[in-house]
Amino acid sequence: MEIQKELNHEIVKNILKQGKRIDGRQKYEYRSIELERDCIPNAEGSAICRMGKTQVLAAIKVDLATPFPDRPDEGVFSTGAEFTPIGAPHFEPGPPRVEAIELARVVDRGIRSSEMIDLKSLALEGQEKVKALYLDLWILDYDGNLFDAATLASVAALQNTRMPKIEDGKIIRGEYEGNLDIKTIVTSCTFAKLDESFLLDPNFAEETGADGLLTVAVTPEYMCAGQKSGKAGFTQKDILELVDISFNKGKELRAILGQ
Amino acid sequence: MGSSNKKLIRDDGKRMDGRELDELRPIAIKARVLNNADGSALVVWGNNKIIAGVYGPRECIPRHDQSLYRARVRARYNMAPFCSLEEHGRSGPSRRSQELSKVISEAFENVVIAETFPKTAIDIYIDVLQSDGGTRCAALTAAAVALADAGIPCKDMVAAVAVGKLNGQIVLDLSKDEDNFGQSDNPMAFSARTGEILLFQMDGLLTKEEVAHGIEMAKIASAKIHELQVEALKGAYDSEHKTKLELNIEPQKI
Amino acid sequence: MAKIVVPGVEVAQKPLRMAYTYTDGEGTFATVISLLSEEGKLIPLEGPYEPLQDDYVIGFVAEVRFGGYDIDIASPYRAFLSSREMRTKLSLGEIVMVRINKIDEVRSMELGDVRSLKDGILHKISPVKVPRLIGKKNSMINMIAQASGCRMLVGRNGLVFISSDGNYNLAVQAISMIEALAHTQGLTDRVSHFLSEKTGKSIVPPSADSNMNQAQTNGEGQGQQEQYGQREYSNSRPQYRRHNNYQR
Repeated sequence: MEIQKELNHEIVKNILKQGKRIDGRQKYEYRSIELERDCIPNAEGSAICRMGKTQVLAAIKVDLATPFPDRPDEGVFSTGAEFTPIGAPHFEPGPPRVEAIELARVVDRGIRSSEMIDLKSLALEGQEKVKALYLDLWILDYDGNLFDAATLASVAALQNTRMPKIEDGKIIRGEYEGNLDIKTIVTSCTFAKLDESFLLDPNFAEETGADGLLTVAVTPEYMCAGQKSGKAGFTQKDILELVDISFNKGKELRAILGQ
Repeated sequence: MGSSNKKLIRDDGKRMDGRELDELRPIAIKARVLNNADGSALVVWGNNKIIAGVYGPRECIPRHDQSLYRARVRARYNMAPFCSLEEHGRSGPSRRSQELSKVISEAFENVVIAETFPKTAIDIYIDVLQSDGGTRCAALTAAAVALADAGIPCKDMVAAVAVGKLNGQIVLDLSKDEDNFGQSDNPMAFSARTGEILLFQMDGLLTKEEVAHGIEMAKIASAKIHELQVEALKGAYDSEHKTKLELNIEPQKI
Repeated sequence: MAKIVVPGVEVAQKPLRMAYTYTDGEGTFATVISLLSEEGKLIPLEGPYEPLQDDYVIGFVAEVRFGGYDIDIASPYRAFLSSREMRTKLSLGEIVMVRINKIDEVRSMELGDVRSLKDGILHKISPVKVPRLIGKKNSMINMIAQASGCRMLVGRNGLVFISSDGNYNLAVQAISMIEALAHTQGLTDRVSHFLSEKTGKSIVPPSADSNMNQAQTNGEGQGQQEQYGQREYSNSRPQYRRHNNYQR
């Protein structure tokens, strides 16, 4: 993998010098994006996002759980990511790699900070237990930019999450009462930094050849999550410019989500 | 397997979901649905949705697992935490998943011509994205398609299906409820050309005659499943084929 | 009409020694998904690379060792290039085209006849589709090279070198098209049509008395594609030997 990274670095840079990207895209252009909703009916909400060749499945299960001790009147929202070995030749079975943990935490942060879910509304009247939303990201095909594909899939899944019926403090599986209430929409943009250029929605070659990545998650009004990964340094100007582009691109992405 | 008291066969002789005793649930199979895997397949079987991906032959890691004579054929069956209608599941393979990984690997060790690629590994990954009974059979069926899609040399293909007993009757292809409340569960896999049984597991109580009846029923069904596997593989060479995982495909009644 | 057969399908009712088949002593059966022609010839549609002596393959330097280099040729088997085979040094990650000089019973390979490939990218295709990508007398690969303006070399292992100074994207699109339609008839015409449309020029397969483009677009080793004859891999069991010829 290490040599591949170096090779990809050289390759992407060489092509960039000609002002192009490997697949002919513009610098701030997304690959083709497709969303397939409610693809796992057993889960309360689900969606698959295809971004170029990247395919990410997001699924939401609703359970009852004990709330976090410091937030007894709030529902639980928890995110996990599985780099299933199907997804790429270098994904191995076993405990999550740090990239999986990072992905789960960053997507979680975007959703949580955006306040698109009112966690207080997931508490149950006069009950110790609260509703819990478990979001699982299943990486089926890795061709770069898991952050954006996972965020899109997660939001689409949350948009179609059915709330199960609760009777006497127990969930009645297979019966539902309404959908999860969504307050706003979060979208994210991930940029790969190569020398002085920034490329939106990097594919595998661009992502592994990059010096660093910056992910910016936004709602229509606010930036709600940010993550720089990789060892490259970004200037202030860089970051502000990318935040700006993320706000602009937000409209395009929200349109895909039907907003 | 549970008590025989629960009524699982209706007065009209059909099962609770309307199926005949020897009727399969609706099934759809698609090949070449992923970009990275060397070969891949999706099986939608009743409410089951199972994806299989194959990588190999590739370097066998860990090295001590390597065989000097042949490729290691390693299948890994894994259930996603969101696959069941019930609660959110745990991460990581359960003991059941590990056992199923073993018996599925062994079914493929029979058909893969492993001597062609000594010292390597042929990795078969099967993820159960949605489960409703009979997942190991659907998993094996998907894996066989993924292997063929990858061009891994095999002397035959494999199709799997389970039989069971409900209210004293031998039935084909148990759903989850039927498995939970029925009197026996007997999954099997057949080599498509030779009819050899490459996977055989059983629990519950069956007479010798019931076992024989079950095997006959399963064999006939496995041939129908194999036809779907062939169609799926050919479908990947259709001019309209797109390599993408569409989980919302409609399964067809067999 | 040729038809697609899956592993286990009978291709002859007597025991034959044919590539990509298995015999139980009575009948002969396909072992990989293939096209079975009316005359009974089997052309694999998919499958891993099986290295053979004298194959020309493309790879990159994966490790610099004492006395030579480990070359990654997208194969699970080790491929070693001794320093004695070359006059200059190679650096880590350098892309090369090499010949498989020797291959032993455990499929470790010794490489030679090195040619360094600079300023380009590696693209992977399925190894069984390499003959299709090259085409009869290099016709297909020449068309792509001409249309894209890229230097292109195809390794028998499925790795394709495309120089980065031309329309790399167009080359990759054409290659993907060939991969997807390798099993169909009239592919050369379709590709010619596609490339002509995309470039606005007339891109046609070169005629038999070819021009200099031939030498540019292929390593010397590609001539071996036109040699017919059975190559024997020393350790393979009799019924699994493979031919190294692909009849169209």
